[in-house]
Formats: sequence, structure tokens, C-alpha cells
Amino acid sequence: MADIFKDVLGIEGVHGVLFLTEEGVLSVSQFTTDYQSDEEKIKGVDWSSMVGELSGIAEAEIMFDEGRFYIRKTNSGYLMVILEDHAPVSMVRLNCEVLLPVLDKQKAGKGISQLLRKKIF
Amino acid sequence: MVPKVLIVDDDQSWLSLMQKELASYAKDFTIRTADSGDSALAILKQEHIMVVVSDLRMPGMDGFDLLSRILSAYPDIPVIIVTAYDRPKTKDVVFRSGAAGYLTKPFSSDILAGEVNKILRKKSAGGNLHNVSLETFLQLVEMEQQTCTLQVSNKAGNTAGVLFFREGDIVNARIGGRQGKAAAYEILSWSSVSVSIEHECVYEEKLVEGDLQAILLDAMRSKDENEEEEANQAAAEENEIVLDEPVSGEAEKETESEKPQKQAEGAQPSAQPAAPEAPEEQLSAVETLRRQLESALGNDRGVKDVYSDSVWDQIVSDLSDLGEIFGFGQLNVIYANKGEQGQYLVMPEEETTVISIDPDAPRDRIIGAVS
Repeated sequence: MADIFKDVLGIEGVHGVLFLTEEGVLSVSQFTTDYQSDEEKIKGVDWSSMVGELSGIAEAEIMFDEGRFYIRKTNSGYLMVILEDHAPVSMVRLNCEVLLPVLDKQKAGKGISQLLRKKIF
Repeated sequence: MVPKVLIVDDDQSWLSLMQKELASYAKDFTIRTADSGDSALAILKQEHIMVVVSDLRMPGMDGFDLLSRILSAYPDIPVIIVTAYDRPKTKDVVFRSGAAGYLTKPFSSDILAGEVNKILRKKSAGGNLHNVSLETFLQLVEMEQQTCTLQVSNKAGNTAGVLFFREGDIVNARIGGRQGKAAAYEILSWSSVSVSIEHECVYEEKLVEGDLQAILLDAMRSKDENEEEEANQAAAEENEIVLDEPVSGEAEKETESEKPQKQAEGAQPSAQPAAPEAPEEQLSAVETLRRQLESALGNDRGVKDVYSDSVWDQIVSDLSDLGEIFGFGQLNVIYANKGEQGQYLVMPEEETTVISIDPDAPRDRIIGAVS
């Protein structure tokens, strides 16, 4: 399980991956080596407001001047990938698509939040 | 003209192998290769490619990105995705992204040739015509209100182009990367052509102004003028006294004075009359985007509505703040897919503007239009 986000994080231009539960709790945050400091930056974010606003959205892509977020709804919450502007979003989508069954399996089992916390960190 | 297939892969040895092995299919198609997505796009701009075969994982522009760009700029060119990166959902995602075919590496060249030939057969399912009068044939297409795509080969110049018809009306034309009226004029001015007919047209929206008759008339008039001009030029060249060295100063003066006229004559490709310039409009960002979307998606399954909606204000604000944290600069647009409810583009204007798009509209074309 420690490798669950390895493929996504291995894609060129990906800074990090976040997993937000349906309750608006940030249960997983993983950043690539160059962006470890982003972990600190997101500490004060009100994720519950964000998750509330994402309600009904199955997939989203948010485009900024110099970067993107790719958001994918799963059965247990939202997967958010932080990307550089030139990153291959389609490859990210494919990898997230591949991840969905794995994430859903965790929901059915121990609960993703618990499991990911335990195994990843 | 034998159809050209473009194979794109960063693995040079695999490209060489395919090129060598597919040489035995030279009667059906010839092979052109590119080692990156950028090179592939440069080739597509210049040459008449009928099918693209692309690897999925490539440094820089990957196969998905290339596929998306081809769908946006050349929606009539089918793309076969090949990959060694085969995961349970890869095939599904590849097809949903708009690919025409999918093969998992390793495969034999015969398998690839089979896929390519299947697509090529479809592209000429309506038959092939040789040495036809294009204007007569097109009048027939118009009369019978045919919806079709015509691959037109110009025997004289060894060039080719595509004409797109929807219910007898010419909707677009393309020669390499050139599209619209200019490309239509050039194709219609070709004298000796072969035509392959496909009973489908990827363009929903009319991108060539004017009806076929008017375009044909203009093209014919232009063709006559060019032929006359060429004849005059040939006669003038025959009578011309050629000096070994131009007289210094005089020749330069003459060249300079003739330049504007010559430039004007040479600026347009031989068969294109000067198209009337559209009046310049100042379009808002939303209007520009709406037009880009309509052009990418067509009217039938494209933009449903454009409206201001404060419901999205909070998410715009939350995501803008998050973008700021990561140093991403200004939020430009949010693409949101709400399944059967539809797809939305949300723009943080003075009042949050929402463009709602048909749920069936291809996602990659929407993203391509806003990227």
C-alpha cells in the first residue's frame, strides 16, 4: 500500500497527491521530493468547505496561470493531484482511474483514512 | 497517391523496425516516422497523413496529449494508440479519449498493418474515383445532399487535401494544417484528381463561409486567372533578355519598386482569391471561449448555455486560495464534470460565469479548447 500513489507521483510535472475524505478531512498528502515543503503550506486549509463545494462533481480540472489541480471523486472522498501546467494530465487521469478500484476496496475494508495513514506515513 | 501513415514513438529502434517490416505493405500505405509528439504535429501541419499510430508513454508530449491535439486540430485523422503500459483500464481510457484503435506491445507488424488497413478501408468505403472532374462530382454531392469526407489527391502536384460535406454543404476543407476557405479554394483549383469517399463527416459546424456554388465559381475564376498569368509569364520569360549581372543600382531600384506588387501576387497560394477580411470584433473572454468550444464541439452537442451563477463563487474562491498557496498564479478556468447533469466550465469573471456543456461532449475537446 505504501506504493499506492507511486505511479501518479512518478509522472513528470506532478507535485503531489492529496486524499480528502467525504467528511472533509485531509487523510493523505504525499509530495515529490522537490515539493516536500508544500506539506507545511497546506496545514491551515479548510478542506471541509472545499469538499462541501465539490459535492456532485465527479471529475474536475482547475487551470491556473502556472499549474493545475486534477480532482477525481472516489467512493470514499476526493483524490486531488497537484500538477505543473505542462504535466501530462491524461496520464494522471489514467493512473487515477487505475487507482479507483484500489481506493474503493479500502473503503469497503478498513477505511482508507486509517489504512493509508498507517501504511504510508 | 498512396496513403501515408505516421508512426510516433520515442524508441528509435522500434520505429526503424516498424518502418522496415511495414515496407512490404507499400502498396497499401507508406510510413512516415516521428520520435516525439512535437515532430509529429510539425509533420501533420505539412503533409497529408491519413492515420497516426502513437505510443502512449513518451517524454514531453505523451500519447494522450498528442491524441487530444490531433482530435482538436485534425479530427478526421484516426489515431491508433500503442503501448507496453497496459493496465486494466488503459484500453478503456484510451478509447474514451477518442482513439480509433489500441494495441498492446509487443505486436507483429502484420497486426498493425491489419488495423491500419481496416481504418483505411473505412476511409474509402464510399468508393474511389480516378481522373474525375472535381467540380462536376461536387455538384453531385450537393445535389444528393450527401454527408461525406472526400480525400482528394492532386496528381499534378502530388499533393492531397480533404473536403468535408454535411448534407451537401461544404463545411470545411484541409490541406495539412491549413483549413477553411483558403484550403477549399486550393483543392477546388486542382485539375486532375483522384477522390476517396467516406460516408461520414466529423465536422458538425460550418467552418467555410459561402455555399459550394459560390466557392466553386471563385475557385474556377481564380484558376483561369492563374492559368492565364502562368501563360503570360511563360511567354514573357521566352522573350526576356537575361543579363549575366544586373546593372548595379538600377536593378535594385527596380526590384524594390516591384516588390509590393510581387509580394501581393505571391502572398496567396496560386489558387486563392483574396478572402474578404472579417471586421475586427472585441470579444469578451467568455465569448471567445464559447466560440472556441463551438468550433471544437460543433453546435449539436456543444454549448448549452452561458450564464452568471453565484452558486460557484465559493468554490472559485476556495480553489483560488489553494492555487495561491502553491504559487500557481491566477485561476483561469474550472472544468467540472457532473455526470448526467452535464459538464461545466466556470470562469472567475467579475461575476462568476458558467458555460454548461452537453454531458456527451468529449471531455478532451473541451479541455483542449480551454487549455
